[in-house]
Amino acid sequence: MKWTLLVVVAVLALVTSVILGPAAVPLGELLHSDIVWNLRVPRALLAFLVGGSLGVAGASLQALVRNPLADPFLLGLSGGAGLGAVVAIALHVSGPWALPIAAFAGALAALGLVYRLGLIGGAALDPRILLLGGVAIGAFAAAVTTAIVSLADAAELRNAFLWLWGGLSGASWDSVLLVVLYIPIPLAVLLAASRPLDLLALGEESAGYLGADVEVVKRRVYLAASLLTAAAVAVSGVIGFVGLVVPHLARLTWGHRHRVLLPAAFLGGGALLTFADTLARTAVAPRELPVGVVTALIGVPVFALLLRRWTIA
Amino acid sequence: MGAGDRVVGRTQWCDYPPAALAVPSVGDGMPPNVEAVAARHPDLVVLYNAGPNVTAAQQLERIGIRTVLLDMNRLEDLGPATRTLGRLTGLEQRAESLAQAMDSLTSTAVDRPRPSSTVAFVVWDNPPIIIGHGSYLDQLAAAAGARNVFSDVTAPSAQVSLESIVARDPEWIAVLSDSGTVPAFAKRREWRAVRAVREGHFLLLQGSLFGHPGPRSGEAIRRFRAMLVRNDEGAQHAAPLHQAPNR
Repeated sequence: MKWTLLVVVAVLALVTSVILGPAAVPLGELLHSDIVWNLRVPRALLAFLVGGSLGVAGASLQALVRNPLADPFLLGLSGGAGLGAVVAIALHVSGPWALPIAAFAGALAALGLVYRLGLIGGAALDPRILLLGGVAIGAFAAAVTTAIVSLADAAELRNAFLWLWGGLSGASWDSVLLVVLYIPIPLAVLLAASRPLDLLALGEESAGYLGADVEVVKRRVYLAASLLTAAAVAVSGVIGFVGLVVPHLARLTWGHRHRVLLPAAFLGGGALLTFADTLARTAVAPRELPVGVVTALIGVPVFALLLRRWTIA
Repeated sequence: MGAGDRVVGRTQWCDYPPAALAVPSVGDGMPPNVEAVAARHPDLVVLYNAGPNVTAAQQLERIGIRTVLLDMNRLEDLGPATRTLGRLTGLEQRAESLAQAMDSLTSTAVDRPRPSSTVAFVVWDNPPIIIGHGSYLDQLAAAAGARNVFSDVTAPSAQVSLESIVARDPEWIAVLSDSGTVPAFAKRREWRAVRAVREGHFLLLQGSLFGHPGPRSGEAIRRFRAMLVRNDEGAQHAAPLHQAPNR
């Protein structure tokens, strides 16, 4: 029943997203319209895939660092991606895919640094070190980014931030294809780690006693969740709150078992982002709201409610 | 106005006329480096009227340097700004004749060409940011005889969805481009949904001439109009090729 409802909501979000848009396309011409085929459908699919990836990445990272406030961008990835994009613009790297590739590279660099910090002195990806390292690397990248923006004289630099917080305007069949080819691998790795992730909730020592190879699981989960997030940043910028709120919502309904939690977070994240993007495109048409604004406007009240429930319970 | 020989400092962005480049730069203009400005010992500092410059103007006044903030956002700002400068430099007469030329750019008495082409100004591609009604470029287009398809957007610039650009189907996509090359987004698949992008109908506007209002706004309008006319003729020449033989 819960699953039926979730699937119905997800399909509904996708269908609404294809039917509604700032350009009036009559229902009868929906299937023959260039606007629908080349803009709306790829954008709806990309929103769904990115939202789903963020939901799964958030759920896994929250389990990994055992912190309910963890979100896919907490570990320095947004700072790294922003720096990558700004460097590409400052160096006048041109080409239609320059920004996504540079952001992806920046996110990977941040990922590598935080991962390395997490292993320093045999820390073995201690959650506290990961969180601190992520925040520190993120702040450092943001500082370098700001320095470049204030010193370089490329007028387009300001727009790098727009791009970074930009959302799904860049959706095309190319980006959908890339994501479809890319995300199954990290998703499969995370799903395969669902049992050890359940055990991690009991603490690393107990998880070890119960047969989980804690070190390996932590490495796999950290890398897979971060690679998912890096891809999301590259195609759609930093979209907040999906990866934070959706896992909590899913946990409230489906409980703490990751084998069901992760698929639920995928469908829920996909539905939320697709729905938010439909609102972003249509609410103030022909103008458009940044989709991160809409996810936050929906996400923050929901999150506040959740916090209330926790503190009362 | 003929006060060029009295200019003792410029911002790094001031590049016209070419003689301006011989004047030492005091750095960025938003806000200016107050110490670098003071070191040039000017009698008068002219600043663009915007947030960070207001504070800088107060700082300069406090150290006894006369400072004026000018609004330079739209065509109708040019006349008053010219008169203010004329008064402050004691060149009222020359300023007045220039100001009248500036005023004539906006006066309705001028024969406006009937808008025959439509244009969308795209200042950024992802997310797409366009120029709306409240801006200088919208005025330039109108004066040159083109209709901005987003003139219903009241803000100077706004983020829109690509879909709206496709639906409004402008004949031309205008971009500010100093390199004079077609922007990279023209190659992106999602932008190919826009007819003007598919057909390569770009108007490449040089930023230093078209980016902001100034004494050369009249030239900017003429150049814009010339581009539209030239391209129109090109389109007419090409038209017969597309006609079916039996029509």
